[in-house]
Amino acid sequence: MSTVKINGKEVTVKDGTLILDAARDAGFEIPTFCYQADLMGVGSCRMCLVEIEGQKKLQPSCITPVLHGMSIHTETPTVMSARASMLEFLLANHALDCPVCDKGGECELQDMVYKYGPHKGRHAEPKFKFQEKDYVLSPVIIKNSNRCVQCMKCVRVCGEVVGANVLGALGRGDHQEETSFLRSFLDCDQDGNCIEVCPVGCFMRLPYRYKTRPWDLKGKDTVCPYCATGCRMVIEERDGIVIRAKAQLGVGLNSETLCARGRFGFDFINSPERLTKPLVKRFGTLEPASWEEALGVIKDNFIAAGKNIGGIASARLTDEELYLFQKLFRSMLGSPNIDSSARWAPEAVEGFIKATGMDEGGASAFDCMESDTVLITGTHLSDENPVTDYIVRRISAGRAMNLVIASPRAMKLDSSASQIVRHNAAAEGHLLDAVTLSVYGGNVDKLRDVPGINRIKDARQDDLAGKAGCSADDIKAIARKLTGEGSVGLFAGTEFLRYPGSIPGLALLKNALKALGKKVTIIPVLDRANQRGAWEMGVHPGFGPGYSPVKERGMGCADMLEAASSGELQALYVVQSDIVAMHPDENFVRGALSGLKFLVVQDCFMSETARLANVVLPASSFAEKDGILTNQEGRAQIIRKLLPPPVKAKRDIDIIRAVGETFDRSFGPKNPVLVLDEIRKEVGMYGEVSLAFNNKRNVDNKLDLKEALVKPAGLAEGLNASGLETKLEPKTDEHPFLLATGNHLFHSGRLSRKSPTLIGLLKNAIVEISAEDASALGLMNGDKVRIKGRYYEAYATLHTRSGSKGGVAFIAENYDDVPVNRFFRRGEGVPRVSITKA
Amino acid sequence: MSGKERLNIFELIKKVVFTDFVKGLSITLGYNVRGSMTLKYPDQEKWIPYKRFRGLHTLNRDENGRELCVACELCSKACPTQCITVIPMEDDTGRGISDRVAKVWKVDLVRCLFCGYCEDACPTRAVRLGRDYELACSDSSCNLKQREELLVPQSVPESFEGGVVAASTFEASPAGLRVKADLTKTKKRPW
Ligand code: SF4
Ligand code: SF4
Ligand code: SF4
Ligand code: SF4
Ligand code: SF4
Ligand code: FES
Repeated sequence: MSTVKINGKEVTVKDGTLILDAARDAGFEIPTFCYQADLMGVGSCRMCLVEIEGQKKLQPSCITPVLHGMSIHTETPTVMSARASMLEFLLANHALDCPVCDKGGECELQDMVYKYGPHKGRHAEPKFKFQEKDYVLSPVIIKNSNRCVQCMKCVRVCGEVVGANVLGALGRGDHQEETSFLRSFLDCDQDGNCIEVCPVGCFMRLPYRYKTRPWDLKGKDTVCPYCATGCRMVIEERDGIVIRAKAQLGVGLNSETLCARGRFGFDFINSPERLTKPLVKRFGTLEPASWEEALGVIKDNFIAAGKNIGGIASARLTDEELYLFQKLFRSMLGSPNIDSSARWAPEAVEGFIKATGMDEGGASAFDCMESDTVLITGTHLSDENPVTDYIVRRISAGRAMNLVIASPRAMKLDSSASQIVRHNAAAEGHLLDAVTLSVYGGNVDKLRDVPGINRIKDARQDDLAGKAGCSADDIKAIARKLTGEGSVGLFAGTEFLRYPGSIPGLALLKNALKALGKKVTIIPVLDRANQRGAWEMGVHPGFGPGYSPVKERGMGCADMLEAASSGELQALYVVQSDIVAMHPDENFVRGALSGLKFLVVQDCFMSETARLANVVLPASSFAEKDGILTNQEGRAQIIRKLLPPPVKAKRDIDIIRAVGETFDRSFGPKNPVLVLDEIRKEVGMYGEVSLAFNNKRNVDNKLDLKEALVKPAGLAEGLNASGLETKLEPKTDEHPFLLATGNHLFHSGRLSRKSPTLIGLLKNAIVEISAEDASALGLMNGDKVRIKGRYYEAYATLHTRSGSKGGVAFIAENYDDVPVNRFFRRGEGVPRVSITKA
Repeated sequence: MSGKERLNIFELIKKVVFTDFVKGLSITLGYNVRGSMTLKYPDQEKWIPYKRFRGLHTLNRDENGRELCVACELCSKACPTQCITVIPMEDDTGRGISDRVAKVWKVDLVRCLFCGYCEDACPTRAVRLGRDYELACSDSSCNLKQREELLVPQSVPESFEGGVVAASTFEASPAGLRVKADLTKTKKRPW
């Protein structure tokens, strides 16, 4: 601890605290441009100069740590005049075209000059100009270097946080320009974090260009609707059109960062394709109808279907909506058949919940990153959950730890890893089993009684390593790191749900490490904003709210479709889930849905599923509702309504309740607040969750507020995780690649395909294989290729990635031009494909 | 004593010869012979206000005909009654002096109090309060003035000194009533 005097006030702070932080804590304001809590200090802007007694020169407080006994002054005339001079120099060449600058009104330079600046400059010589016109750097970024203050935040965020390293500084001194190499078009992550950190109007959003002034915007706090990282953001509208999403420094776990989807993918909200009125099928075509009529038709058909009815709700709805949805089915319609995912098998979900310990309450990703060894497996983190990737990169760079990444496909985060393991696709389980076996080898006594150990204890290390496709040394190295000093953190992603046979391996490794007395923190890495919330609200055939046991086990999505084909299931109520596009084997889904007597689809868009419906109800986007979303860590976060639903569309919660009310007027609770009250009462995990911290700027950039984490339920014993297996099509020479799927960096499910900006980032489908495989086939990056499976073939652009494991072809599930689920055939396992030049 | 008496004599004489009466009458008679002060508005004469007058808004162009407004929205921000709406857009075809131009620039005259804050705020002298003051109409349609209309130069150019009475003609047509002033035929105001 050091005791220092700041402006005469004595404060005691930790050794090594920056003067800036100490002064701010003591309540003194120091202006800064280049300082940002989570970026490396560069001390380049000199706005933060302070006077230290005994030192002749002023010192930059953002890179100078306190020393015991220092006496610091932050408001002396010398300091004040130094600030004014710095600003005068900055303005010497500054464009000062505020009236046309998109930053005007929220510009840090404007504020600073207003507060500290000389209100008159003495530089009369002509200003130096980098360029006459703003230039477009990417489909979402436009740049005007004449306004740059050389704080280097863009370069640092791009390198240190995003890990893209595409920005750098050209030139020196006042001719230094932060930009891409040769100012060329950026082939980058398009996340716009460089825009968000830029204090001036240098990096700017292209879609927001010349649309408004910040004071004309009305904003509401919300959470990104795409992946389950749960990034907080503010969406802002003018005249009913949402024109900006922004993240705020120190707010939420993401602070100022977002990925391309979050920052630019909001424009589906005002899409002209939104459904605006209920539609009812008459003589084969969907025609506009009134809500009364639509609800009447639903009631008649639901009554006719009796208990032979099922429901599938999207994992992007709010907790309140999902809770009411399961209540509608379980207590009003008397049917246990509900599911929240068209992709995962219910048993896999249960196994995954057990293995990752989601029922044991929320676990923070920051805590996980505090572990001494962190293993990331079963997820292409950099693409699936970009901001989780930023958090991992940033924290791992700042402390001594082991970061092990096990994945078949190379990823951006690899550069942060201390060990990278490339294993075969769908072989996560074998890899983890091999690791556990290696751990077991050294600790036979301690691990003898670990449940499940018998499954592997007699296996041969070489066999397992061989199945996983990696070397025994790799396995040993991982085992050594995991069993070394300290705690263990695991990020386990959706591949475990895609290849359920891997789940027992994950569970076993966790149990083994725990048996060794290790602290193990597991973060499930999920790809739908409220997937965890959907499960915790009990939208699953095997458990109720809070993972509570259910009286009668229902059918999951696949079983419901099966039952629909055989005519057993008569009616299906689908809320914002496009099962036709998402469930493996599209033809089967289409057949099954046409076998239904009655299909209701509630959605924002005319999805493939909605086209087959008897009644289509216009639903709401995240911008049009209040509620809470639970992210992958189990953090409950509020979203707020910014706009009314378009025309006659309604909030999902109102529609679900209206459907319930057609059966019983008292069905409710009647509004989201009351539903949340009921959730708090009924679902122990949510009883004490604090929503209060939401939307506040956290002091000292502390992003991890644990009050919002859900509490333990401890009910996992009732979960049925049996029969977990991964089925793969046998490998043949004709079809050498295993087809892997997931989300593209710019997309999430099919929702993001309604965003013109995100579509603009990547118009057509790509298929990704390793660079080695490509050169063996004589193919090059960018070639048009034909992808042929046993049941389907499609054309896409080839993308090669160096460092990926061979034998995997990745096609994202997002593209409507290559619907990847058409390659799948029910019951035949993960397909294999061939790739040839088109 | 004697002074007081003299006064009384004066008063008496005044009363006898009706001095006050004549005085008052002479003013009245004076008006009879002096020219009329009433402007023969609208059909013969029209008052052209001074430069400082604050009438209907006008949007100016530069010497090359490019719009001066860069849609910075400062006028609408400065306006105390929030009656100006500006929506910017990008257009680098040379329509404006910058590539930022107004997609919408409208003012709601019902709320405007002609304070002139908008012109003070404008960094490019694009918006000025001009000297058009005939703003009355029989329905509320004319209260909202749009960019297109405001970009048409007003009848009195900014350079014109003003503070004079101009000859005018009154035109009533189905299109509306119009008072046309002839700025070449002006005279000093008669008062
Ligand atoms: S960056 Fe700020 S100071 Fe510079 S022109 Fe833009 S608004 Fe004005
Ligand atoms: S958008 Fe992201 S990746 Fe691209 S330059 Fe900016 S910070 Fe770097
Ligand atoms: S998609 Fe995920 S990582 Fe990206 S902004 Fe949204 S929540 Fe964050
Ligand atoms: S004159 Fe005053 S009230 Fe009228 S538009 Fe201008 S600022 Fe607003
Ligand atoms: S009139 Fe002037 S102040 Fe108003 S938007 Fe145009 S340039 Fe800005
Ligand atoms: S903030 Fe300290 S030098 Fe820039």
